[in-house]
Amino acid sequence: MVAGVFESNRDQKGTRKGTEQMKVNSSFDPIDIAISGLRTQGKQMKVISSNIANARTSDAGNGEPYRRLEATFKSDDDLGGVELDKIVTDMSDFLKVLDPGNPMADENGYVAMPNVSLPVEMINMNIATKMYQANVAVLKRYQQILETTLELLR
Amino acid sequence: MSKTENILDLIDAGIKAETLRQKAIANNIANLETPGYRRVDVKFEELLAKCLRSSGEFDLSEVEAQIYRPKQTPVKSNGNDVNLEAEIGQMIKNTLRHKTYIRLLSKKYNQIELAINVK
Repeated sequence: MVAGVFESNRDQKGTRKGTEQMKVNSSFDPIDIAISGLRTQGKQMKVISSNIANARTSDAGNGEPYRRLEATFKSDDDLGGVELDKIVTDMSDFLKVLDPGNPMADENGYVAMPNVSLPVEMINMNIATKMYQANVAVLKRYQQILETTLELLR
Repeated sequence: MSKTENILDLIDAGIKAETLRQKAIANNIANLETPGYRRVDVKFEELLAKCLRSSGEFDLSEVEAQIYRPKQTPVKSNGNDVNLEAEIGQMIKNTLRHKTYIRLLSKKYNQIELAINVK
C-alpha cells in the first residue's frame, strides 16, 4: 500500500502538538479498521465459547473449577482500530451446587462449580455478534463508497 | 521512453501485481487449516517506489512483483498463521485497486482512440 503523507497537528499519542509530518495509510484505512473489529470480535467469540463449553467443568486441571475468562480490548492510537489487550480470569466466587452423590462433594454435599453464568455469556455473545455485523456493515458500505468514486473513472 | 508508453506500462505492471496478489490470497485462504503453513504476500509497491525514486531510466518490465512470506502474523497452535478476516480485507483492497487500474486503462485507451479518430 502506498503511504500518503499529510500535515497533522497531533503526535502519535494523540496529544496536540505543533505541525509535523505524520505518515498515514491511504484511503484504504477504514477497511483495516473494520477488519481489526472483525478479528477482535472473533477472538471474543472464542473466549465466550470457552466459557460456555466449560460452564460445568468442575476440574480445570489444577484441582479448582474452571474460572470464567474475560477479554479486554484496547485501541492503539487515533485511528489504529481495535485489538485484543489481554484475556483475564474472573476471580469472583465459584457457584456452590448441592450434589451429595458427586465424588468431588465436600462434607456438606456441595460441589464447587465454575463462576460462569450462562445468561451473561449469551448476552455477551449477542453483543459480539452485533459488533461483528456492524463491522461487516462498515466494510460493505465503505466498499460501496469507493465503487461510486470509481464510477467517475468510467 | 515516451510518456504514453510509460502510463500503459505502469498500469500493466500494477494489474500484473494485483493478479499475483489475488492468487496469493486465494492460496492463503485455501490453506486456512493446513498445519505449519505461513501466509504469503506480494511485494510490488515498495519495489516500484524504489525504482521511481532512483534517478535515471529504468525498465518497468523489470519491476516484477515478488512473492514472500512476511512471518509477522501470530501463529496458531497448529503452526498456521492465516486469518480469514485479514485475508478478506486484503482481498477487498486488492479488488478495488484492480478495478481502479482497469478503469484507468480503459480511460487511456479511449483517449488514444479519440486521438486516432480526429480528422
